[in-house]
Amino acid sequence: MRLGIVGAGQAACTLIAELIRGDFKGDILVFNGETHAPYQRPPLSKNWLKTSDDPTSLRLLPEPLETHPSIQWIQTSVQSLSPDQGLVTTDQGTYSVDHLVLATGTTAIKPSIPGLASESIHVIRTLDHALRLKKSLEGVTNITIIGAGFLAFELASSLADPSRTIRILAKGIRALPQVAVKTADRLVDQAPASIRVGVEIERFDETTKALVTNHGSIPTDLVIAAIGAQPNAELATACGLGSSDGIPVDEFMQTAHPKVSAIGEVSLHHQPHLNRIQRIESISEANDSASVCAKRLLGHPEPFQTIPWFWSDQGDAKLQIAGLCDRTDEETCLIESETELVMIRHQGQRVTAIEALNSAKEFMAARRLLDQGDLALDDLLQAGSVFARLQSSRS
Amino acid sequence: MPQLTCINPNEQAIDVSFEPGETILQATYRAGVDGILAECGGGCSCATCHVILNGNWDGTLEEPSVQEADMLSFAVDPTPYSRLACQVRLTDQHEGLTLAVAKRQY
Ligand SMILES: Cc1cc2nc3c(=O)[nH]c(=O)nc-3n(C[C@H](O)[C@H](O)[C@H](O)COP(=O)(O)OP(=O)(O)OC[C@H]3O[C@@H](n4cnc5c(N)ncnc54)[C@H](O)[C@@H]3O)c2cc1C
Ligand code: FES
Repeated sequence: MRLGIVGAGQAACTLIAELIRGDFKGDILVFNGETHAPYQRPPLSKNWLKTSDDPTSLRLLPEPLETHPSIQWIQTSVQSLSPDQGLVTTDQGTYSVDHLVLATGTTAIKPSIPGLASESIHVIRTLDHALRLKKSLEGVTNITIIGAGFLAFELASSLADPSRTIRILAKGIRALPQVAVKTADRLVDQAPASIRVGVEIERFDETTKALVTNHGSIPTDLVIAAIGAQPNAELATACGLGSSDGIPVDEFMQTAHPKVSAIGEVSLHHQPHLNRIQRIESISEANDSASVCAKRLLGHPEPFQTIPWFWSDQGDAKLQIAGLCDRTDEETCLIESETELVMIRHQGQRVTAIEALNSAKEFMAARRLLDQGDLALDDLLQAGSVFARLQSSRS
Repeated sequence: MPQLTCINPNEQAIDVSFEPGETILQATYRAGVDGILAECGGGCSCATCHVILNGNWDGTLEEPSVQEADMLSFAVDPTPYSRLACQVRLTDQHEGLTLAVAKRQY
């Protein structure tokens, strides 16, 4: 069997590792649209941005895997696919494969700001973006980050420096809408940035070097947009397998075409934990969907059923989330101290997620409990629960 | 380069050379040691890089941070010598260190 993988990011690399570990009988062609060997993305907005570490510390695949004889790396972007014939077309030629896995990820969205060339707006999605941002920081005193999510806040923490003023401008009515109000308030308080919500940007004024907004003029030497990403689904869409929301797949990561699978954050599938179809941008989604696909390709299929989890470093504070919730889910505070905060998100009795700030034990316990099945709010709150025990042993 | 020995989950011993200053995770990852998943890429957030040192290297290794200790207490079958590979920095003193990769990471 000859397998083609489009993309060489997190999901692709997990798939490769699991196939090799599972003694996959066949050849693997990997089409890597970037000029770098596979690397990790999360550090790009975190510690790595602060340090002078060279990119090799970000390497995603160990050498024995990168140089494995059954893998052929093709350093170019795929231009089109013909699933029926099993053909993959690139500027280096056309390749024939028996099965194709699309692991193409997403592309950062850039806002259009009158008066500012698109190239002048930074985004952080790739290593090249991060390298470019690092180079552009010299002499910069006013940094404006557009966006209200984890990425915007991580960037603010990583770029914080006495010589710089960092401002976060968010369009919506609150910052960090994906977490509980209390969690967001804590992160907003700690952020080394001034944060404004409800901001509409009109244009950039070159003479005053400022963004003109409904909140007045914001001095700006450097703009970073962290307003989200869109799925790289064009290849699939061109052959009737994709949509603007992602590439729909079943619980085995199979698209509507028997020869094509999709994994990682481009894949759109039923999330058992949420009980609805949703695309998720996280390492856990990339790894878990790749693992499901690997098992199927190795001949022992198991459906996708894992509980999502997520982490984010906000300066010295560590946020870890087990599960996934709707923005409107109720919030109940479990632990609150000067440094720690644990919030339960729930829909009535059903616990959907636990948000743990500097509370690794609670996060780990929550992951375990959610993995075991449905978790009731009262069980969590009742004396005798893992959390309560933890809490009493702490005080 | 100094070396350490790593016992993978299939009980095979693998020699791993390391640069002083690297973490156990960096060294074992480069060598392609099986069984260390390191899902968060060294961020002390996932506990899937659980390793067990052979005996007491107290004094030569920095103590685990509160975050690491808390994560470890919920790893699968932690021992007093359990560590997260991403949090342990190696120095020249650790020539000859032997460690086992946890049989299961979750
Ligand atoms: C700065 C940053 C910080 C993050 N922090 C966290 C975090 O703390 N925690 C967390 O859980 N998640 C985090 N994420 C999200 C996480 O990194 C992604 O969800 C994950 O990398 C998705 O993996 P993937 O393989 O689906 O896509 P990617 O890793 O994006 O890989 C897709 C690859 O496919 C390539 N490609 C696309 N089209 C083609 C083509 N036509 N031909 C060839 N190649 C192609 C792309 O160039 C890319 O290299 C972060 C992301 C970023 C950018
Ligand atoms: S790699 Fe995730 S905790 Fe070590």
